[in-house]
This record gives sequence, structure tokens and C-alpha cells, in this order.
Amino acid sequence: MRQVALNTHISGTFNVELENLRNSVLTMGGEVEQQMVDTLYAIKHNHAAIAEKVVLNDLKINSMEIQIDEECLRIIAKRHPTASDLRLIMTISKAITDIERMGDEIERIAKLVTRNKLPSSDTIKSSMVKIGEQVIDMMRGTFDAFARQDESAALEVYRQDNQIDSEYKRLITYTTSEMEKITEDMQDWLDVLWALRSLERIGDRCKNVCEYVVYLTRGTDVRHTSLESIHQKIEDLT
Amino acid sequence: MLKLFKHNIQPVSELSSAQTAVEVNALNLWFGDKHVLKDITMRIPKNKVTALIGQSGCGKSTLINCFNRLNDLYDGCQYKGEVIIDGKNINSKKTNVSRLRAKVGMVFQRPNPFPMSIYENVCYGLKLQGVRERRNLDDAVESALKQAALWDEVKDRLFEPAMTLSGGQQQRLVIARALSLKPEVLLLDEPTSALDPLTTLFIEELMESLKKQCTIVIVTHNMQQAARVSDYTAFFHQGKLVEYADSDTLFTMPEKKQTEDYITGRYG
Amino acid sequence: MAKLRLSGLNAVQRQSLVISLTAFFTGLLLIALISVLVLITARGGAYFWPKPIYSVALTHISPPALATDQVLPKEAASKETTPRETEQVVTLLANVFDDEAKSEIRLKYADALNPYGAQLLVERERIKRIDLAKNSAEIKLNDGRQVMAVPENVVTPEGANIPLAKLPQIMESVALISDEITKLNKQFLAPIHESLSRFDNRDVAADAPAREKLVAQFNEYQQRVRSLETQRDQYKLAVSFAEGQPFSIPIFTIQSVDFVSRLTGFEKWQVAIGEVFVFLTESPKQANTSGGVFPALFGTVLMVFIMTIIVTPFGVMAAIYLSEYAPNTALTTIIRVSVSNMAGVPSIVYGVFGLGFFVYTLGGSIDSLFFSDTLPAPTMGSPGIFWAALTMAILTLPVVIVATEEGLRRVPEGLKAGSYALGATKIETIVRTILPIASPGIMTGVILAIARAAGEVAPLMLVGAVKFAPALPIDGEFPFLHLDRQFMHLGVLIYDSAFHSQTDAKSASMMFAACLLLLVVVFVLNILAVLLRTRLRKRYLKG
Repeated sequence: MRQVALNTHISGTFNVELENLRNSVLTMGGEVEQQMVDTLYAIKHNHAAIAEKVVLNDLKINSMEIQIDEECLRIIAKRHPTASDLRLIMTISKAITDIERMGDEIERIAKLVTRNKLPSSDTIKSSMVKIGEQVIDMMRGTFDAFARQDESAALEVYRQDNQIDSEYKRLITYTTSEMEKITEDMQDWLDVLWALRSLERIGDRCKNVCEYVVYLTRGTDVRHTSLESIHQKIEDLT
Repeated sequence: MLKLFKHNIQPVSELSSAQTAVEVNALNLWFGDKHVLKDITMRIPKNKVTALIGQSGCGKSTLINCFNRLNDLYDGCQYKGEVIIDGKNINSKKTNVSRLRAKVGMVFQRPNPFPMSIYENVCYGLKLQGVRERRNLDDAVESALKQAALWDEVKDRLFEPAMTLSGGQQQRLVIARALSLKPEVLLLDEPTSALDPLTTLFIEELMESLKKQCTIVIVTHNMQQAARVSDYTAFFHQGKLVEYADSDTLFTMPEKKQTEDYITGRYG
Repeated sequence: MAKLRLSGLNAVQRQSLVISLTAFFTGLLLIALISVLVLITARGGAYFWPKPIYSVALTHISPPALATDQVLPKEAASKETTPRETEQVVTLLANVFDDEAKSEIRLKYADALNPYGAQLLVERERIKRIDLAKNSAEIKLNDGRQVMAVPENVVTPEGANIPLAKLPQIMESVALISDEITKLNKQFLAPIHESLSRFDNRDVAADAPAREKLVAQFNEYQQRVRSLETQRDQYKLAVSFAEGQPFSIPIFTIQSVDFVSRLTGFEKWQVAIGEVFVFLTESPKQANTSGGVFPALFGTVLMVFIMTIIVTPFGVMAAIYLSEYAPNTALTTIIRVSVSNMAGVPSIVYGVFGLGFFVYTLGGSIDSLFFSDTLPAPTMGSPGIFWAALTMAILTLPVVIVATEEGLRRVPEGLKAGSYALGATKIETIVRTILPIASPGIMTGVILAIARAAGEVAPLMLVGAVKFAPALPIDGEFPFLHLDRQFMHLGVLIYDSAFHSQTDAKSASMMFAACLLLLVVVFVLNILAVLLRTRLRKRYLKG
């Protein structure tokens, strides 16, 4: 495993630029994570004001994406990064798209809370909180893996997604069975499905970012492959 | 809204006189019958790196030679228009060219240390200015070499011939030689075209640190270099200033098609 | 030329033919060079090497005394002699110059009639016997002559015969007497003589008491000197020639006694080195056929030195003007071409110019302006070392200008621009940057000029070099450097010796020795200059 050393360029400005870029990604990640935490709190306590704040905050995340993207463009134009630097910039450029999407998914969930449309089923709520906490865990792991450029951590996070997926499937089954029983508030229940789907999507986005981390450190593209073949590819390389 | 990155680059059009190191007004220059510079007007900002790019023969080197009147050396050179440095038009007859050249340092394409010791090389300009006291010279040599990031490499062999240094060291020595006179403007005429890529990066890094003390104008054929080191970039074509903007803009969204073609390698 | 078709040869063979042809001519050149060196070194070196003395017995036809310098015509000899009646065998002490290829051998011999040596060319069949004469010695005299004889014993003023072994001590005591005489002459006689002449100038009466006293003193010292001289003269070395004829040599005239036939290898080297020393430090004797060449060496070096001092600034200035300041016009081109062509003008033309312009016109004007009191005797208006140096400077000026210009042209433009960019003016740039870098080029020009001037003969003979100069151009007399004096020059000395060489073996080898010295001088000057140039080049043109 090779770390991309950010601060060893002859050009000091380039070092600073790359460091700033990486930190801004982490800032953005931290921001999204906080959004998720706030959203879960809002779900748990039916706190519309907090959910409102989350929805507003998403604009900030969008602006961050644009700024980071511009900075990537600027660095490519001015510094002509190569090899690990180029992979880092490309990784960041792609990762922020995924992170921004996570933000969008969170916004979607938060919007449900603001409308106060969640069914008053405690089972659903606690299940959502549970899966949400798993997602937060995964996000944390992802950003941590990115920050440390740690591919094994990334693979660990990658594996977590399976749990979320199975939980998601379980909840979907539960929700559909609930929906069969209940006829009113059908729209609310559909929204629950959407929210669950969003949570699952966030997990998938995390998976994508983890794939980028592996690409960053290994230079191997592991997208669209199974976990086993990712392991295989990494073993081939080491 | 949160600003993640701080790039306080002012657009060229907003530069005030106080922020300008060299102001060029309607400068025209001929070598014999050849019209080399056509109506150049630009403001070169203080304490920034300004890159001049363009094809060979587009007049960019001639332009920086106007900033220290080095064109006077060539027969049949005539010029019209103003070059204002430090509030004075240096093209006027009253200008003390010797003093001007001390104030506007220059570094050339090939490292050209004089065939003397390292120490003597750095002293050359000072001695011409009449500095004689050994202590003053010693101090000046040390600080110039430190600024040029060469001091640690040569402090034990100051009195060895400058020719024993490597190419990159020689170029830094030449920069130190220019810095010894504490210039306000440092003109670099393709300073790295004779050096290997790594040495080039060291020289570029040096420019970055030098711009705190002086204004740097660099002529380069290497567009990547212009992009890397410069805050502002001017593109010349056939003696005309085609586009002049901050480098971030010029290298990402050039205004003119000619510029775009040149920097993207689409030139005829 | 018509196309040369080397039919039957393929390309490779043709190529190798060309290579061998060119290599052949290069080889010829090398052989010519080496033979010059070998000849000069061998013949010149032989001058210093002690030659053994033989006792040569030969049938005698006519008195050798008459045949000092000439070979007897063979026909005349055979006609004149009726065998057995006049033919007799004589024995001579001689150096033998054996030439295997010839039927004659050359003898440099000494006998009672020719105690100071003579030459003889003898047919081989007349030689009866040649033995190494172990007892005979080469006795060199102070005046440059030498005697080949067998030293017998030393005769003292008292008439006693002292064995030869005491010779060194006797020579020492004689030298002491000589010193004493010199001292008396210098310390007492000369001042008294000076006072006397002062009296003369003041018209002091001949019988004035002070003067009489001085005269008496003078006479007294003169008496002492005379008695010392008689005493000195009476020390003699008795020698004998091959057939026992006695001869005696005053010891004070003897410089050295070498038993050349007995010398071991090491002693031969010692003698040879002594000879080299004498050759380098003493004046020529016996009309440039013996002794040393010091005045010529000194004159050559001094003349070259003065010339260098004159030609270097002139040449460098002119070259700087031509390459840095002169506008690029037709006139400049014409000047440049003329300068290069001046290098090809025959040197004698410069000699005539020097004589006509410097000596007569310039020197004459100086005389009439500054030395009018001594006219008509010329001071600067006659050939002298300064005019010679000036003439050589004119002669070598084109060489220096061309080489310097070449050097200046090689200074990179970037360095000049660098200097200007630091605020240097044109003159500062020339002095501080261009000249140091061009210095190897300038040195090249000066080397060529020196080599040329040291070897010239013809023009020098017109403007100041003579075959014998009574005094060096530098001495202890004010103004120490006498630029108006004539001087001796190695080239001229060689030229002069060449006239003697047809008859005299000794002076022939002296000519070669002088040649060798001239070569060494030029080589040493060249090597010094090349070393200096390499150092300068290393310093200024590395990388």
C-alpha cells in the first residue's frame, strides 16, 4: 500500500493546495455526517426545526461541491498533476459528487420529517434510527479511510454495506407487510419506503467512495466487482 | 457562505497604480524596419509573478529587455512610448541606465556566471555601484545567496570558481548576483530552459519565495511553467499583446480564441 | 584534376589507401621534426661532452705547422714526397673526430708549434697508431684557448719542481695573489689615479707637495703590484707534448685542468655540467669560437622582454577597438585584412623600416632634441636594443592583434549581457569580464610573438644586434638599463658562428650548442606561456 504523500513536492504551494483540497473534502464529509446525525435526531424526536435546518444546510454542501470542483479544475490547469497526484484529484473530483448525493439523500429524509409525515410506528422509527446509525458508522469509516488513505479500512467499510442491505431488505419486507394491513396514510408509508431507500443509497455511495480510495492507493479500478474479486485484485498486486 | 479556498487574485483591470511595479504605455519598438512591439499597454503588478508567453519572435523577450533598456545595446533599435518604473518613465533621456539596471535585475536563458569565484560573482554588481567595504560585501553576499537558496550549498567554498557549480546552482548564483543589488523588479528570460525538470522546479519554487521581495517577470516557452509559477499571464502574438489576465482565468477560461488555441496546443 | 580511378580496388581498399597516404606524409613530417631535434641536440650536446685525447702517430709529409687550417691537396702531397726520404712518423696529441664513412679523419691536435691547437684532415692510411693518451690533459685557459698536453710538474718562482698532485693548492695560492693584485688595483691605485687626474683638471703644478706625495704613493703601490705580478707569473705548469717537447703555461692563466682520457662516466658528467655552466655564464672568447654565450642569451631575453612590454598593450588595445568599438564598415574590414597581411611581410622589410625610420629618423630627431651636446656622436640615432625591440614589436603586432581578436570573439554574448544587466558600462564590462576571458587568446598571441622575435636574425642585424657587444644593456651604471646600447643575440651569434664552422670544428659545435640553447629558450618560453594559458583557460573557460 502506498500513501499519496501530499507534502513532499518541491513546490510548496502545490503541497499547500493539495492539503487544502483534501481537508476541504474531509470538511465536506464531516458536514454531511453531521447532517445525518441531525436527521436521525429529528426522526427520533420528531423535531421539525432541526430537520428544517438540515434541509437548509444542504445548500452549503452543494456550494462546497462546486468550490472543490473548481479547485480541482484549477489545480489540473495550473499544476498538471501526474500519477498519484492525478489520481488524488480525480478521486476527489468523483468522491465529492457521491458525497453531495449523500447530502441530497439526507435532505430527502429530513424533508419527510419537516412535513411530519412519518407514520407514528415506533418500530419503523427505531428501525430507521438503527439503520441510520449503521449508515453513520459507514460514513465515518469511509471518510476516515479516505483521510488515512487506508485501503483495508475501506474494504472493511465496503463489507458493512452488506449488513445495511440485509437490514434494508428486512425493513422493506416489514414495511410492505404493514402497508398491506393499513389502507390510510398510504402516501406516508410510501415516503417511508423512499426514506429507507435513501438510507440504503447512502450506503452505496459510501461504497463508491471506498472504491475510489482503493483506486487512489492501489491505482486499480475496483468498481463493478464483487468483494471477493476486489480482494483477489489486491492480492495479485501485493 | 463558507469559502473553502482563498485565492485573492485581483483581475488585471482592477489593478491600481499603487499595485503596479511596471507600467507600459503605448510602447512601440522597431529593430531597423522591423516593427517588433506594437502598441503594448499593460500593468505589471507588484510582488507577483507575471509570465509572458507566446511563440518565438513574438516580442516577449524584447519587451522585458525594454524594462532595463538592454535593447540599447543593439544597433538600429528604436522605441516610442512609456515604461514607468517607480513613477519615472525610464525611456526618457535623463535616465541613469546603470542605476536602472541595478534596480531591475535580469537573469538569462543560459546560466552565465562570470569566470570568477562565487563570491566575486555575487559582488560584481555591488562593486560596480561603488561598494568597497569588505564587511558590507560579505553581508550582501550572504544574504543574496540565502535568498537564492544557495548559501548552504556554497558557504564553504565561496572562493572557488563559479564554473565548478552545477547548472542549477549556476542559475541560482546568477539569481543571487541579481538579488545582491536588491532589485525592485527581477526579469527572468527563460531561466530554466537549459536546466533539467527537477532543477527547474527548484528554481520555480525559488521564484515563489522571491516574490515577497520583488516583482518577477518571467518569459517562458513552457506553458506549464507559466501556469505553475505565475499569478498573471500575458499572451503575445506577433508583437501584440493578445490577452493579459490572471493565470487562473487564462489557463481555465481564456477570453480570446487565439489564446485558447495557443495554450491548448492547437496553433497553426 | 582528372578523375583518378583506382580500378580494381573496392571502397574499403580505396579508403585505406587514402589513410596510408595521408599517414605517410604525416610520418615524413614527424621524421623531419625528430631529425631536427636529434641533430641539434646531439651536435649541440657534443660541445659540452669531454672528448678523450689520443696520441696519434701518423706519417708526416709536410710540417703540420703549415697545415693549421687547411688540408693538403692530396696530389700535391704525393708528388712532392719521395717516399722514405722525407717521410717520417710524428706523434700528436689530438681529439679524434672519426667519421666511419669517410676515408679521412679529422684531428684537432696540439704540438710544440701549435700549442693552442690546430686542425688537420688525415687520410686513414697515413695513421699508424692511435692510443688513448691517459696522462694528457685538456688545459683550459682563462682567455678561452686550450692546450692539450701531458702535465709534468709545477714550477715555483724559486725554481723548485713540485709534483703535480700539489697543483690545486698552488692554483689556489696563485688565485690569492691575483685577488691581492685586483684588490690593490681597485682600492689603492684607482683612487690615487682619480685624485691625480683631478689635480690635472685643476692645473695643479707637477711639483706641488700634495701631488708629489700622491705620485710617490702611486709608485709605491705600483711597485708592489708589479712584484706580485712577477711572483704570480713565475708559477708555471710544465707540460710536454706527445714527443716530449716541453712547454710551460703560467698558472694564473689556467682555468681548469681535466685529464679527459681518464674520466669515469660520472666525472664526464661533472665536466660537461661545468662546461654548460661556463657556456651559460661567460662571455664569448676567441671571436665567438669559445667561452660562453651569456651576453647573447641575456640580450635575446631582454630584447624579447622589452618587445613584449611594447607589443602586448598595443596589440590588445588595437584588437579591442577592432572587435568592440569599430563600426562595421568597409574601412574596418580593410584594416582587418591589412593587419592579417602584415604578418606575411618579409622580416627584412621590417628591419629596413626600423633602420630607416626608428634609427635614423626617430633616433636622429631625439638626438638633435635631447642629446645635442654629444653630436655628431649618435646616442639614440644608432642601432640599439630599444630600436630592435620596437622593430620586433611592429613585426609581431599583427600576430598579437589577430590572436587577441580571436580570443575576444570567443567571449560568450551572454556574459557580456550579464555584465550590462548588472549596470556595468561598456568599459567596465571589457576590463572586468571580457579581457579576463580573452586572456588565453591574448597569451596565445604573445607566445607566438615571443617565439618569432626570439628566432629572428635578419632585421635584428640592421637595428641593433651585433656579433660582439662590449657591454651588457643592463649594468650598475646609471640609468642601469641602456636602451641605446647594441646587444648580442643568439640568432645572430649562430649566424656568425656558421661562417667559422666551415673551418673550425670547435666553433661549429659551439654553433650547434647555441642553436640548442635557442631551442631551449624558445621551448621554455613557450611552455611557460602554454602553462599560463592552460591555467587561465581552466579558470575562465571551463564548462
